[in-house]
Order: sequence, then C-alpha cells, then structure tokens
Amino acid sequence: MSNDSISHTESGVTIIRTTSTFDCGGRCPIRLHVKDNRIIRIEGDDVGEPEQLRTCLRCRAFRQYVHHPQRLMFPQKRVGSRGRGKFERISWDEALDTLANELNRVKETYGNEGIFLATGGGYLAALHNGGFAAQRLLNQFGGCVTHYGNISSEGAVWASLTQYGSVMVGHSRDDMLNSKLILLWGWDPARMISGTNTMYHVIKARENGAKVIAVDPRYHDTAATVADEWIPIYPGTDTAVFVAMAYVIIKEELHDQAFLDKYTIGFEKFRDYVLGKEDGVHKTPAWASEISGVPAETIERLAREYAGTKPAALMDCQGPARSAMGEQYNRCAATLSAMTGNVGRPGGSACGGLMGIPVGHMFRMSAIPPGKNPFEMDGPRVKGTLDIRLRVIKRVHINKIFDAILKGKKGGYPSDIKMMWSMCNNYLNQTGNSNKAARALQKLEFLCVNELFMTPQARYADLLLPVTSSAERSDLTRPWPSGPYFTFMNRALEPLGECKSDFDIANELAERLGIKNFNPYTEEEYLKMFAELNPEYQKHIKDYDKFREDGIHRVKLPEPIVAFKEQIDDPDHNPFPTPSGKIEIFSQRVADLKKADTPPIPKYMPTPEDRNDPLFEQYPLQLLTPHPKNRVHSELYLVPWLREVEAHRAWINPLDAEPRGIKNGDEILVFNDRGKVAIKAWITERIIPGVVSIFEGAWYNPDKDGVDRGACANTLTKDAYSGGGAAVMNTSLVEIEKI
Amino acid sequence: MQIGFYFDQTRCTGCSACRVACKDWNDTPAGPENWMRILYTEEGKFPKPFVSYMIAPCWHCAEPLCAAACPVDSITKRAEDGIVLVDSEACLGNAECDVKCLKACPYDAPQFGPQNGAKMHKCNFCLDRHLEGKLPGCIEACPVRALDAGPLAELEKIYGSGKEAVDFKYSKQSKPAVVIKAKISPLNTT
Repeated sequence: MSNDSISHTESGVTIIRTTSTFDCGGRCPIRLHVKDNRIIRIEGDDVGEPEQLRTCLRCRAFRQYVHHPQRLMFPQKRVGSRGRGKFERISWDEALDTLANELNRVKETYGNEGIFLATGGGYLAALHNGGFAAQRLLNQFGGCVTHYGNISSEGAVWASLTQYGSVMVGHSRDDMLNSKLILLWGWDPARMISGTNTMYHVIKARENGAKVIAVDPRYHDTAATVADEWIPIYPGTDTAVFVAMAYVIIKEELHDQAFLDKYTIGFEKFRDYVLGKEDGVHKTPAWASEISGVPAETIERLAREYAGTKPAALMDCQGPARSAMGEQYNRCAATLSAMTGNVGRPGGSACGGLMGIPVGHMFRMSAIPPGKNPFEMDGPRVKGTLDIRLRVIKRVHINKIFDAILKGKKGGYPSDIKMMWSMCNNYLNQTGNSNKAARALQKLEFLCVNELFMTPQARYADLLLPVTSSAERSDLTRPWPSGPYFTFMNRALEPLGECKSDFDIANELAERLGIKNFNPYTEEEYLKMFAELNPEYQKHIKDYDKFREDGIHRVKLPEPIVAFKEQIDDPDHNPFPTPSGKIEIFSQRVADLKKADTPPIPKYMPTPEDRNDPLFEQYPLQLLTPHPKNRVHSELYLVPWLREVEAHRAWINPLDAEPRGIKNGDEILVFNDRGKVAIKAWITERIIPGVVSIFEGAWYNPDKDGVDRGACANTLTKDAYSGGGAAVMNTSLVEIEKI
Repeated sequence: MQIGFYFDQTRCTGCSACRVACKDWNDTPAGPENWMRILYTEEGKFPKPFVSYMIAPCWHCAEPLCAAACPVDSITKRAEDGIVLVDSEACLGNAECDVKCLKACPYDAPQFGPQNGAKMHKCNFCLDRHLEGKLPGCIEACPVRALDAGPLAELEKIYGSGKEAVDFKYSKQSKPAVVIKAKISPLNTT
C-alpha cells in the first residue's frame, strides 16, 4: 500500500482512495474510512465541481457488501448431494490440491477439452481479474474450452462493427448539452448508469433546452425525470418503428442526401427495402404501428421531429438489443442517424448502442497476458469477424454454456465438458434459462467456484474458493464505457478471513501443476508495468505515484469527444474503419455470410416468441428484464441497505392485472415452458399493457416444486442468441396468475 | 441562524443514494428507521402517467412540534444553527410514551427501530460533518445534484422561496427549513 495515499485523522481512521470493480456502468472515486481493518464509512469524490464524479447508491452501501456476514471466509467442499448447499470447511492446501488433482484427472482422462473455464464481468480491473490469471494458467496447462461474447452488448458490438468498423461510437457526456432533441430509445441511465454522471448530464441537457422523448415499454425513472413525452412500445419492435420513421423521412424527402452520398454506402438498398421494392411490403407507419403498438401518427410526428431538429441525439443502448434480432435495432438507429446527418456532429449521436469514448475506455486496459489457448490453435481466425458461426467453433456462446454442458459435441459444441472452473460470474443466474443451467451443473463431474458469496451458482459447487473483494486488493480500474479519466484502486483492507485473490489462487495452483515461471512479477511490479507500458497511460499519466495517491487521473478535454468527427470533418484523410471506408448501411461482409438472420441492410424481422408467434396464445405477455437499481446484475444482492430500497416486484399494467384478478402486492406466478417464478405484483400505469417487467439479477431459489421463489428473471428467459450474437434476454413470452 | 435543505424535485430520479449515504454515515441498520425517506407518487393513466419523488429528512423546523410534544424534553433546537436534536438516551422509547413526537410531526421525521422500547433517532443534519464545515452526507451523495443545504436565508436567495411540492405541504405552524423546486403534476394544474 502506498503510504502517500493515506491521510491519517486523529481518531485513528485512515482514508483510502479507491473504486469498486462492479460491472455497473460507472467507475467512481470513493474514499473508504478504515479502522481496525474494517470500513466504517464511505465518502465520495472530493474534487470541486464541475469535475466531481458522484457514485450511486450501490457503492454508498459498499461496506455492507465487503463486511457482509455471509461473505465466504474459508475454502469449503461439498457434503451431501450437489446443489443442496451443504458444505464443510477445509484447508487451503486441501482445496488447492483438490482442484489441481481434478484438473490433472480430467486432462488425463478426457484431454484439456474436458475443462471449461467460465470467467465474467464480476470484477472489472486490470490485474486481479480472475479470468485472465486463470486463462493464462490453463493455457500453460495445455488449454481449455471457454466462452465467447458477453450477455450485455453483443448486438450493439456486432452492429457497430458492421456499420462503422469500430466500437468507439459514443460522445463524451457533456456533448448532450449541444443537443436540441434527445431520444431516449430503450435507455434508462438513472438506473443503469452508463458512465458516472451520465444522468446528471441528461438533466443538464434538458435544463439547457433540449426536448427529451422516451421510447420504451416502461416509463422508467429517467423518462419520469426528464421526458417531455413517453412513447410506449412493445419489446423487440423498435426496429419496425425505426424503419417506418425512415419511410416517412424518405417519402417526405427529409433526409440529408448530401451526407448519405459523401459518407455512406448502400442507402439505395435500404431505401428500396423501406419503400417495399424489395419485398412488396411498404414499411409505412401503419405497418409499424401494427407491430409495435405505437400509433401511426406518433411515428410520423416522431420521424418529422427527429429529421427536422438539428442536432438531435438518438440514444439507443443495449437493452433492446438483447433480443432475438437485437443488432438490427442498433444498426437501424445508426442508419437513421446517417440519414439525418447526425453522425460525427456535436449534439448528435452515431448510435450503435455502446456509448464508449476512446479516452480511458475499459476495452483498452492492460491485463495479465493470457497467451494462446492450445485448444483454439487449430480454430478459425475470428478477430473482427461478423460471422458468429466462426466464433462458436472453438468456443461456446455465453448464452449457451449450459446447453453445451448438457449436449457436448453431439449437440454441435466444441467439446464434451467434464469440469468447470468458474470465477467472476454467476451464469446460472445471469444467462438464459436458469432451470436448464441447474440441470447442466448436475451433470458435471466437478465444479470449482471462486466466489465471495454463496450465489445460486456457487451452491452447485464441489469446491468453493473464497476470494477477496476489491477493498482487499490494489488494482487499476477504468470507467465503463466512458472516461475521460483513469482510476487506481488502493488496497484498503488486509484480506478478510482466509480469502485470497484469484491471482494468488492461480499462482498457487501453478506450483501444484508443475508450471514453471507462471508468474514472474509481484502485484506491485505488475501494476507499475501495466501503467508504464499502456499507450493511454503513457500519454496521459506522467506521475504514477501521484496517480496512485490521488486514486484518479482526470483528462481535461478541450472540447467534447464526438464519435467519428475526424471522418466527417476530413473524410479523404480519415476513412471509416470499414472495408469501404464509409458508413456501411449495406455491408458486403454481411452479405457474404449468406445468413437469413443477418441481412446486409438493417431490417425488421419476425422472430420466435414475438407477438405473432403461435405461442402467444398460450403466453400472451412479453417479458422485459431491465437492470435493477439496487444491485449490479446479481452482485450486491444480499446487501440490506440496497435490498430495502426497492422490493423485487413484477411491473404489470392494470389492464393485464384486472382481468386476472391480480391486485397490487399480490403474490403471483410468472411462467412459461421454461419455468415459474413467484413474485409480488406491482400494478402500475408505467408499463405498456401486454408486457411484464422483472428486474434481472435476483437470486434463483427453486422450491421443492420447482417454483423459483427468488424470482430470477432468467428462470423465464431463453438460452439463445441472435444472428449477431446477442443474448435474447428480452424476447420471452409468459403468462401470469394469482397464487 | 437557521440551516435548511434545498430540494429540486424536478431532478430527483428516486435513486435513493441520499438515503443509503445517510444510513452509511450515521450507521443506521436496514429496517424501519430511516432518517432520510423517499416518498413516491404516481398519478394519471397510461400512456400519460405522472411520477414524482420527494425527500423526507427532518426539516429542522423553526417551531419543532416534536419538541413541544416530548414529555421529557429530550428534543431541543440548537440556538446557533437551528438544528433539531434528540437526546436518545433521555427519550422514553416508543412503547412508554406512544411516539408523541412522531404523532406531532407533520412530516413523520422521528424514527424508531423495530424493537419494543426503541428510542427515537432522526436526521441531525449530520451534525458531526456540520461542525467540521461539511455538508450533510445526503447532499454530497446526490448523483444529479438535486440537493443542497446551508443557511436557509442563503438558500432562499439562490433558489427562491418555493415551499410546496408533490408530497410536501408547508406547515405554517412548524415552519420547516426548506426551499423546494417543485415538479408540477399536469393533473393538478387545471
């Protein structure tokens, strides 16, 4: 611990500057007041306004997370049947020997392909990200099978890469002050954060005179705070409304043809599709109204307003893209942005849903080099590919992990998985179809979980390894998805109980597995090296010790960052990083895939479990699974100060509740063929009739009859992915009934 | 001098960061004792609902009705800054006096834990922070800067004299120390 980072006060309290590592959408400086190896209070950033970065309620409750009485404090092994949650304390020696022996046994019996490594977003930092150390270890052990993609954003990633050849599609948040019109299209930063201070900037933009319209199945808290108008829409139908807006814009010649000519390719093909020349269907507002529930005249008005207000920021995000053709939503949004000349323009938005800026972005963080995975050596080259089929030859799609465990090679997966080593994730809870996941975990020969808590997934472990929290580690962190700043996490506490970091666990396993020179550096050496060798830190941070002492380095921007400004200002010298050098409304790369689920131009397409699926007769309600405000996905679930902020309830419109005899506060079942959850009903006018909303991340807790009493949203979702790789968490049909 | 709070209801997203920061700073356990509460109102019909949030700390009234109601004078108002404090040691507890302070307060500010005999606690304007020249924890915790605090006269100079809002009615009897920028419900303007 750097002594300079501590300021002693008279009461024997030290104040440590750090951040959390949650997958929360922010990254906030926090000051932990520490006494006798306990956090006793928390304060936020202490720089003056306007630079101050204010943390949200989640980290305000950080000490109840770190010092939670249910933290796992020593290694344990399963006793009794798997999944019952009965464990017995063992020593670290026994625990590490057990894991080493299982790794050796599976390797010798089935080959390295029998080993599955499940990493995740549970700890987002450079050094102690358990996944990197474990991947490096298993690569040196001969390889393993792992997963591809993330649950959050694959649709947006695919769309941004297709349209722009880049994932840096965001503006710095202060640029919203340049907007005259902001469309919150499936975006609720009051809850999902989207970068520290983002909601504050949305409010400032509104106060600065921007009109704000929210298009969403829910009248969420962002809309309730800033929206001049709420346009309710059925989940999964955003693209239909976009296409119909394009129809109005084209018919009324409101599009910016000069911009399209100069910066894009393929608009004519999109226009032909919109006007019905391709398939005979005129994508009129009336057509989209049938699909989306948005009145045709509202779509017309919205199209005219968006095309006629400059600059206008269409803020698409990732939630609507977590659906059965999710990438089409982000691509179509980006196409509308090009049609209206809002790409590369201050106050505009390139869309694409990722909202990241290239200063301090988490994607550009240094980490322990994992090296090459021998299992993947004979696989296809996948870097930058838009062909998801190539990505799942040697890896398993993240929303198919448990199907792969159940079906193996016979099911078309890369291998027959025999054991799983899991860290920084709770995929049973956080990927589609939790009941199937629970069945799959029963099939494994061995499951080892590195965890802080007895999560639903940890309950199925044979071996539990207790890991330290971010308060017990030093590390480099970065904001997700948006700087412009870099943060340093100073260790506040000595490890609690017998907890170890994932990094130390990998080190100790390496010795047992006979892997020489696995880790040549100490934590301190690694951190300094990461800082000194990373091009971004090199550019911005001249004094490592001061960076560490301050816990943050803020980058002063001379003007707001606007995605693709260079390409728009000087296209001759700055082509878009696509094959054509232009914004690709038509993508030849995608055309060459010849896949019906990924058309080369953005399109609305019917999908399973949309409102026209025959299943709709049996399950006539769509399920929405948005981010909760009082936890980060399934992290922080047990924290009392957060739990009491908001009861876990299903949002239901009175028009759906009344015919079923459901009253506010009633216990109800939400169900489909995949599962049943028991949850309290919250009857509200804030949701479109025909849709039920359950915040994701509540812990799966099946009773003896198979009813999930924890009401995990994924008990109802499907373990499938779209053509662009998006997990389909918002494409599920359900029915509800009073218990 | 009288300290007070400023609340911009038009900015509040109901996130509860203020409430959690309060619990952290004052070490208040999860449960019914909430020195900072968030009131919620939903009105109107789909597709035009109206939603608002209102903070509910202690408003450190000029004429604290709680103090007058307390049978053992455990509630006092500081002369130098008007902060209303409770001596929880002196408080008789919720069972013995039947929460007379809570019944007297127009804003339900006095708070009791779940146990029988629980003593009254409430927002003390983070007196320890105040004495160090810092703002209360809730103020610095607000991610959207909907909160401010300071001498009431100064707050009125900066933010005007708004005293009514959804879920808040100004008590002329107790004179709460607050300035509010109210959110206007379209349903109440006609």
